[in-house]
Amino acid sequence: MPNLAAGIAREVREGTLKRYLLQPMDMIGYLLAYRVAHKFAYIVTSFVPYALLFLVCQLSLGVFDGFPDPMTLGAYILSLVLAFLVGFFFEASVGMVGFWFLEVTSLLYIVMTLNFFISGQMLPLDLLPQPWSRLLQLLPFQYLAYFPAVVFLGKVKGVELGLFLLGELLWAIAFMVLARVLFRMGLRRYSAFGG
Amino acid sequence: MPIMGGLSRYLRLLASLGVYTLNRELAFRGNFLVKVSVEVIWLGILLAFYKVVFARASTVAGWDEPQYLFFVGAFFALNGLIEMLFLENCNEFAELVRTGDLDALLLKPIDEQFLISCRRIDWGTAPNVLMGAAVMAIALHHGHWHLDVLRLATFLVTFACGTAIAYAFMLMLTSLSVWMVRNQSLMEMWWLFSSLARYPREIFAGAWAQPLGTFFTYFVPILVVVNVPANAMVRALDWPMVALSVVATVLLLWLSRRFFQHALRSYRSASS
Repeated sequence: MPNLAAGIAREVREGTLKRYLLQPMDMIGYLLAYRVAHKFAYIVTSFVPYALLFLVCQLSLGVFDGFPDPMTLGAYILSLVLAFLVGFFFEASVGMVGFWFLEVTSLLYIVMTLNFFISGQMLPLDLLPQPWSRLLQLLPFQYLAYFPAVVFLGKVKGVELGLFLLGELLWAIAFMVLARVLFRMGLRRYSAFGG
Repeated sequence: MPIMGGLSRYLRLLASLGVYTLNRELAFRGNFLVKVSVEVIWLGILLAFYKVVFARASTVAGWDEPQYLFFVGAFFALNGLIEMLFLENCNEFAELVRTGDLDALLLKPIDEQFLISCRRIDWGTAPNVLMGAAVMAIALHHGHWHLDVLRLATFLVTFACGTAIAYAFMLMLTSLSVWMVRNQSLMEMWWLFSSLARYPREIFAGAWAQPLGTFFTYFVPILVVVNVPANAMVRALDWPMVALSVVATVLLLWLSRRFFQHALRSYRSASS
């Protein structure tokens, strides 16, 4: 999510955070609504090039065996929505660190670089040798790229699918709570600064 | 003689800029360490990818394990060199255009392209060149390479050409900022560029990939950047490709400079 964590840290640093405290508006709620709107706009504009890409893959490599059945498709969409929530609240939590460290960009840089690999964006996590593959599939980051892809391809089914989706839901809730707690703790500290 | 005087002047300027930026960088030591750590993580990721692929295959498009490792090292070093010398400056260009600070720079009695491209040296990515060189050395050791002066010389020349080609593309992308003032897409485009340069050209095989590979070798020679030096060192010395590399370098440097100057002219007429 471009600029989410950095944006929060910047608002803390520059003091523009005050407007959320003065207005009857919940900052996290506002940012979430903003992101959802942004995602809709992004999906609408990027849909055609991505569809073209998948078409080329299908025509040249025959990657997909047609569309998955409705159950799998439903699970896929659910995993995507939960992935958005996991990603959003995770990055919001990182942004909240700005209350303590003011400059979050270094931390963010490390997190994003690691995330590129750990989420499975570079290569599928099940290709890694064993202790790593299992370990990375326990972390929440796999839900950001690897998990929805394997759901769509039908590699995860039945009970395992249900368990992983439940895990995804729990991670989303955990990060949501974390973001709220950090926000509350950060505000107390912030007020102490501004006076 | 004027050329020589000019060249030594620019070299001295570059040295001063280098020392100045190094001092500034070391003043924020924590930040510097973080930057270097991230680059080490990135190298780790590239090596992990390479290891995973070769755990399941003994060759990739004709490249065996030590050869591919050399390629990874060459890519990392070249990318590090470009990021160290030019990336930050090109990123900044869009801001300069937007805020109008470009005017102040253009007034200085120095070639604008030098000023824009070489303002800061990002010492945070400088270790990448050394790390890449280390990876290349390890690869050569694993591949039982014997000292071949011709190959080494060809490698160094084509590596320099690859750097120049990458720079030329970066300059052309940067010049677009004059028209598209918010050029945040520069980093995205650069990521795409380095994604193409990251893998050996030979992987573009098959009905759909082949024309793409040809396009990006002969028309927009991104695939030439790391491929030709790496090939020259550890695989066959392909003289036509070396020639292509040199010709592409000269053409692209000329083209990018012309495009950049055209962009500056457009800027001037817009600002008044």
